[in-house]
Amino acid sequence: MNLEETEMISRCQRGDQEALKEIFDKYHKKVYRIAYGVVRQREEALDIVQEVFIKLFHSIKNFKGRSHFYTYLYRMVMNTAIDHARKTGKQFISSLDEEGSFQPSDDLEKGPERILLQKELEERVRLAMDKLPAEQRAALIFRDVEGLSYQEMAEAMGCSIGTVMSRLHYGRKRIQELLKDYVEMQSQSRGTSPVSKGQNPQKL
Amino acid sequence: MKDFCSSISKLLEKYFDQEATGKEKLLVEGHLKDCPACQDALRSMEELRTLIKTPVEEAIQKEDFPWVWQKIERDFRLQEKPTWWQSLRSWLDVSPLFKKRVWIPAVATLVVLLFITAQIFFKKIPSYSGASVVEYVESETNNVMVYDLEKAKVTVIWLFEEPEEEVSPS
Repeated sequence: MNLEETEMISRCQRGDQEALKEIFDKYHKKVYRIAYGVVRQREEALDIVQEVFIKLFHSIKNFKGRSHFYTYLYRMVMNTAIDHARKTGKQFISSLDEEGSFQPSDDLEKGPERILLQKELEERVRLAMDKLPAEQRAALIFRDVEGLSYQEMAEAMGCSIGTVMSRLHYGRKRIQELLKDYVEMQSQSRGTSPVSKGQNPQKL
Repeated sequence: MKDFCSSISKLLEKYFDQEATGKEKLLVEGHLKDCPACQDALRSMEELRTLIKTPVEEAIQKEDFPWVWQKIERDFRLQEKPTWWQSLRSWLDVSPLFKKRVWIPAVATLVVLLFITAQIFFKKIPSYSGASVVEYVESETNNVMVYDLEKAKVTVIWLFEEPEEEVSPS
């Protein structure tokens, strides 16, 4: 935490809204990335961004500077996003149940095939992510989108590094299972035989 | 080899996440040279990362964050409870006339008028608070008590007549 940030935080702790604006300018995109990654819905992710910064302004007095500020903030984002995801959990699952099987879109004819296939795949990953427990989803976002280290993730998630690794492992494994047909297709195109279940869970 | 792949899978994940130690790196890299299945697994993790990251990055490009900040500011304004003094100031600031600070002499004039009115009003009400017994005189026939009301400039005189004596039966 640099001097400028320390000053910004202590101003915010004294109730300076201008300082909160500076924190917002610095971190809003990161907050949105995590929120969007967890809830996967634009409006809800924006609501989370708003909620997090309001919460932050009221609770920043409790920040003692023992950990990095961003892990403190990420923890707040993750908890808020997980609460939102749990509230709307039924909606996510029903969405996956309806669209779980892969059907090529009618849009395939409208543009280059490759881009559309990529979009279809992203959509499938999105649906698979929705099916993960919120903690595993958050772990994948922290690591694969935000690029946090295991230590930073453990601080942000309030758990051990072992738990972080476990969440990442099972999250990735579950997505691979949900995209099994794609895994087999990719393996054939690469000329490698798909590894049987349980031997190498990292294959997509 | 497949058994080794299975045992190395967690290390492979650590290697992919750039969390492996020097020794672990050497072990994984040594294995990867001769294992197409683990090379494939590594590529798959990379693809999955791209698939997770891309939609999030695309979504962020479309957002208008200044608008979100405006919502936060508005929320703060709604949450803040103004003090009585701020309420009075904001109430007085509603009129453009008050914004010119005309309200200061106006309020002063009002206070003076209220004070004068109160003085007139209270003077008309007689007060008996200063009443006191000035004199009490006893005689054989009557008792007299004199009250002097200082503020009202009134003197009250009570005359107590003795009750007629009852005739006792003999």
